[in-house]
Amino acid sequence: MKIIQHILFSVALVLTGANFALAGDTLDRVKEAGVLKVATDADWAPQSFLNDDNEMDGFDVDVAKEIAKRMGIEIEFVTPDWTVITSGNWAGRWDISVGSMTPTAERAQVLEFPGIYYYTPASFAVHNDSSAQSKVDLNGKKIGACTACTYEFYLQHDLNIDAEGAPPFSYDVTPGEIVSMEDPAILFDNLRLGDGVRLDGMIDSLPAIRSAIENGAPIRVLGTPAFYEPLAIAIDRGDKEFHHALKDIVQLMHRDGTLSRLSEKWYGIDYSKSSN
Amino acid sequence: MYADTVTQDRLVTKPGFLLPCFFLSSVVFFFAGFGDSFFGHLLAPVSGDPETSGRFGDFAVAVTLAMLFTANVVALSFVPWVIQVVLVWLELLGLFLLFFYSFDLSIEFIERKIWFMISRGLFTTLYVSAVSIAIASAIAIVGAVAKLSSNGFAFAIASFYTSFFRGLPLLMQVYLIYLGLPQLGYVVDAVPAGILALSLCYGAYMTEIFRAGIESIHKGQWEAARALGFKFPTTMRKIILPQALPLIIPPTGNQFIAMLKDSSLVSVIGVWELMFLAKTLGQKEFKHLEMLITAALIYWALTIVLEIIQARIERYYRQKK
Repeated sequence: MKIIQHILFSVALVLTGANFALAGDTLDRVKEAGVLKVATDADWAPQSFLNDDNEMDGFDVDVAKEIAKRMGIEIEFVTPDWTVITSGNWAGRWDISVGSMTPTAERAQVLEFPGIYYYTPASFAVHNDSSAQSKVDLNGKKIGACTACTYEFYLQHDLNIDAEGAPPFSYDVTPGEIVSMEDPAILFDNLRLGDGVRLDGMIDSLPAIRSAIENGAPIRVLGTPAFYEPLAIAIDRGDKEFHHALKDIVQLMHRDGTLSRLSEKWYGIDYSKSSN
Repeated sequence: MYADTVTQDRLVTKPGFLLPCFFLSSVVFFFAGFGDSFFGHLLAPVSGDPETSGRFGDFAVAVTLAMLFTANVVALSFVPWVIQVVLVWLELLGLFLLFFYSFDLSIEFIERKIWFMISRGLFTTLYVSAVSIAIASAIAIVGAVAKLSSNGFAFAIASFYTSFFRGLPLLMQVYLIYLGLPQLGYVVDAVPAGILALSLCYGAYMTEIFRAGIESIHKGQWEAARALGFKFPTTMRKIILPQALPLIIPPTGNQFIAMLKDSSLVSVIGVWELMFLAKTLGQKEFKHLEMLITAALIYWALTIVLEIIQARIERYYRQKK
């Protein structure tokens, strides 16, 4: 009978959503371990990628390293799926996401956003052979976007950015079909096959599109940016101290020009202010 | 297969085979449109400039290739069996490499990354699979005994387990374990979660393999053991399993080969195994195909090695009989 009791107990736990991983202890855990565990993508140059030494590198990675340095602790990277990061409930697996996350209203229900560290323009890209001249030419076309990211929300006309100072935007494009891909890198591979072969166009961050073009992808940026999104670090809900500590660090990094410097280093442009 | 002792004329000496072979391959090559390809340039003195030769160029190349193909088939039919197999393998492999070569891949980039793919990716793939198959075997033997048990409680648990884990896609199990267990308070990292998912899934399949192996031992063996006064564990260990293992081990080897490839599914939770590195290493310089093909060849080479080992094991048990 003990086994049955145990099973019933477990089932009850699932049903009530009980969570043993205590919220609110992130800062204590980080300090005790002396290691900040950062969740980020390994597949998203130039924000974060594996460099030639097979180590994590990129703008987000540099920002994360700077945060750990200012907290006076070591850093460690983990690379879970993006949807696993954005769905929250991390249960202490990692402490923070420095992954260029847009603080949408939906995500704010499961995560906290202690600081916006830069703003990036989202743009449409088309193949060089495309006849499209401006964003409206993409209406009714087949447009690619990454799964469950702000670019897909934008195409679905369902993007609610929940942050102060987020520049207003309008929905200029109504795609005929949204092609949603887990891995944004595959979108570029699809678009480079030719105009309309698999995609008529795609939407992604302007720095990522520029990086693709620099690496020889036969694509071009279409028109002006669709919207500017603020990008924030994210933590699990419930640790006020950790939240404030990070907020202070990010503000300080804005003020002393660290973020401007890192942005210049990786993008050649200072994206750390919302006014561009 | 059954060796036929009736001698017949060689198929390749009959026009009824050769002509259709030639015509069909011509048609296939014609519609593949090789006129403006490497072959078209080879034939340029005959068919003219490949850029402008159009349909005629396609036709000329198709006929030439079809003749080569038919001649090849005829030539192959006159060599002994072993040489036939080796030659056809080499030809297919050559075509395969030519196919990849036509992608214009950056060999330099592959050379730069392949060592890390092997030292980190292949190593992780191998140890995740090896640990999982060991745990799965342990689960399988318990599950098999439970499934054969007269105890309804044990049978119900075991059959529920096999039904559930064989009935869900492995990818979903990976997600369920990685995301679901923390809700119970057990926070598992990516690697243990992946190993757990693979073990449970393959444990369910292997339960059935073990059950079939144990069932195949004749009832008389059990009765004889009972007559000698053996208890259940001793009977199992000394009499039943030693006889069942030759039936169990070959399919278990197959499961291991299958698992090696299925372990690529745990890349979604961030385990740096072969598939994960194949997806990420090429990303910065937009060289996905290079990395995917490299990983594909590594998987393939590995399974070939394992299949050879598998064949050895099977031969060993066959000889023992």
